[in-house]
Amino acid sequence: MQMTFKQYIALIPLLFLAFISNAQDESVTFEMKLSKNKLGLNERLRVDFTMNEDGDDFNPPGFGGFKVVMGPSQSISSSWMNGKKSYSKTYSYILSPTALGKFTIKQASIIIRGKTYKSLSEGVEVTAAVDNPNSPRTAQDVADDNIHFVAEISNTNPYLNEAITLVYKLYINPSLQISSPKTLDAPKYNNFWSQDIPIERLKIENGTYKGQPYNFVVFKRVVLYPQKSGKLKIEGFSLDVPVEVPTNRRDFFGRPVYAPTSKTVTAGNRTINVKTLPTTGKPASFKGAVGNFNFFVTTSKTHLNAGESLQAKVEISGKGNLKLFEIPKLTVPSSLEVYDPEFDEKVSTNLSGMQGKVSNSYTVVPSFKGKYPLPSIQFSYFNPKTKKYHTLNSEELVVNVLEGPANTNEPNINSSANNNTKQAVVSTGNDFNFLKLTPNLKAIGSNYFLGSTRFFLWLLLPLLLIPIAILFGKKRDAIASDVVGNRVKKANKLAKKYLSNAKKALGNKEDFYIALEKALHNYLKAKLKIETSDFSKDKIASLLVEKQVDETTTENFISLLKNCEMARYSPFSEVQMQEDYTKASDVISIIDKQL
Amino acid sequence: MKQVLTLFLFLFSFVANAQNKVLFNEATKAYNEGHYEKATQNYLKIIENGEHSAELYYNLGNAYYKLNQVAPSIYYYEKALLLNPKDTEITNNLVYAKNMKVDAIEEMPKTGLSKIYKNIVSPLSFDGWATVAILFVLLFVLAYIFFYYLQYANQKRIAFITSITSLFLGIFALIIAYIEYADFKADQPAIVFAEEVIIQSEPNSRSKETFRLHEGTKVNVLEELNDWYKIQIIDGKTGWLVSKDIKMLRDF
Repeated sequence: MQMTFKQYIALIPLLFLAFISNAQDESVTFEMKLSKNKLGLNERLRVDFTMNEDGDDFNPPGFGGFKVVMGPSQSISSSWMNGKKSYSKTYSYILSPTALGKFTIKQASIIIRGKTYKSLSEGVEVTAAVDNPNSPRTAQDVADDNIHFVAEISNTNPYLNEAITLVYKLYINPSLQISSPKTLDAPKYNNFWSQDIPIERLKIENGTYKGQPYNFVVFKRVVLYPQKSGKLKIEGFSLDVPVEVPTNRRDFFGRPVYAPTSKTVTAGNRTINVKTLPTTGKPASFKGAVGNFNFFVTTSKTHLNAGESLQAKVEISGKGNLKLFEIPKLTVPSSLEVYDPEFDEKVSTNLSGMQGKVSNSYTVVPSFKGKYPLPSIQFSYFNPKTKKYHTLNSEELVVNVLEGPANTNEPNINSSANNNTKQAVVSTGNDFNFLKLTPNLKAIGSNYFLGSTRFFLWLLLPLLLIPIAILFGKKRDAIASDVVGNRVKKANKLAKKYLSNAKKALGNKEDFYIALEKALHNYLKAKLKIETSDFSKDKIASLLVEKQVDETTTENFISLLKNCEMARYSPFSEVQMQEDYTKASDVISIIDKQL
Repeated sequence: MKQVLTLFLFLFSFVANAQNKVLFNEATKAYNEGHYEKATQNYLKIIENGEHSAELYYNLGNAYYKLNQVAPSIYYYEKALLLNPKDTEITNNLVYAKNMKVDAIEEMPKTGLSKIYKNIVSPLSFDGWATVAILFVLLFVLAYIFFYYLQYANQKRIAFITSITSLFLGIFALIIAYIEYADFKADQPAIVFAEEVIIQSEPNSRSKETFRLHEGTKVNVLEELNDWYKIQIIDGKTGWLVSKDIKMLRDF
């Protein structure tokens, strides 16, 4: 155990050593630098391999496509600064290209403190021979390489009416000095609704351009709302930038001399593919709003008197193309007086688009009392983020008009009921009436009188009365005019009247003759208006003579009476009975005629 | 067996009747206490039970008015007016309900001739005119018979003139009754129930929009094709709409 403790103590310095070596390991660099990446066939290329610690066994790559003109030449520099040592060792080669084309300088390796390090390979393009090989670059060349004008588009594939932003940035290498650029040609943004976001002062900011540190100026910012679908072209934005490029010369004070030049840069010559809004699920109330919105309808009052006014406000707030769509119209009952709306917008535009609210305020004046519901209205928008349509409904509001005249000149459109075209204008109760309390319920169903069989019977049956009445009258006249027939008929009638009992008793001798006698007596009684019961044959005969009935008839009558008497005491046959019956009816009718 | 059945039916109808009365009174109570929803339910139940009256429809219209439901309110008031066209309470409350609707449609101005016609025709319903026609026919028949039987020339003349006049009046009344009946048949009023309905120029959804109507407006159905109705509004404009957007008034 004691031994182990000692061992630990011995290990401590080793630990420190490890730390140091570690630190040194990390800071070892070995890299390759090319003087240029693109050169003419008649130019030279310088390749430097630099390391910050001395190493052995430097192994240069094969320079395929190049011929080594000079090298490797070594240079070492080391210095102490603030107690820190910096060291650099460089192997340099001057190469001359042997062929046109693209070549790669491959990795070189070196062993530093027992470890192998490798540089990164790099590509070189060899072009055709240039005019003045290895001449110093002109100010224009420098400006070309160090000034870049870039247009950044937030979205090249937006929906119709979806906001896109275009930011123009001018990148300048920090070594250059520029003065304020001049606009040569500003794009018009056809088929876009554009809003410029003004930049108060050009401000230089730090950034990188293609991995290099650069200064940049945001030159212009525009928010665009495409108004047409399909491929839309944005024209380029051209600037003339006056620039001063440092030269290798120095002035008397040792400051670099700047050469003035100017550069024309163009950016943002782009094509944008605008998508149409999806047609599936497009609500009917969609009026082109794209973004994300809230929708409200509010009234300043809900209870008021007739003649007073209230404000009804239709408001849309949120983010999107607020200025580019129609606010849905307020629908109000026609009996309310509504004035044209007052439009109000509070919209601010920033890089993400328009933001704020737009509203229409309607002044509404009710003139009659009652209850006026403002129906709910719809507002639809397309949200490009969720790629869906959304529909918002406003709440239904009710305006109560408490005091005022009742509406009496309501245009009367009731023409349905069969007889209420001249509907009475309401003049009695001005207030809303309460329920009716008696139900008077009937079974549902309609039966109209017109067209029913009852109706036709009532209409046509009376008409039948006319022919009936006429026929009846004619018959009566005919009967009156036909004398003989009349008499016969009358006799028949008389016979029927007086002899009916006798006829019934026909066949029964006793009864028959009693009935016959009675009938004959009755007949005479009725005919001659005799009130007495004295019916001797002589008296009858004298009466008949008196009434001027001819003798044979009288005799017949008397003989009939005699028969009646005789029959009671003597046998009479059926045939005789029948004979007497006919005789009686004949006699009666003859007497009747003569009387 | 038959007698038992009729007795049963009679009892049943009696029970239903009594039940409807109870429903009606309950509804009145609910309405007065402000429970309009319940009141409407009761009234609708009575209609379901197969009974109706102008008063019932009027009360139903009132309850819907209190619930701010424009279309049903106007619908039931109009129905009440169909049964009882001369009731001032109904017309008064209908004006209140009509205040709530969105559309204001100017009535087509009537020509002088049609005004005169309306003035002559409107005092009586077609059933009324039918009764008048029957009375005149009876008068004609009586007068004609008198004419036939009377002896003196003066009396005969009076009877003849009376009979011929009443015959013509009877025919006239009958013609008016039939014209009015035809008008009545042609008139199929309905109330727009959809909040907003687009009136199309053809009975399909591809066709052009001609105008829009809102809840509570009265239209007259002229023709129908599949699910579409051709309608006319009082200013004379016509167009097609989907049948579910409106509700016919004369469904009894």
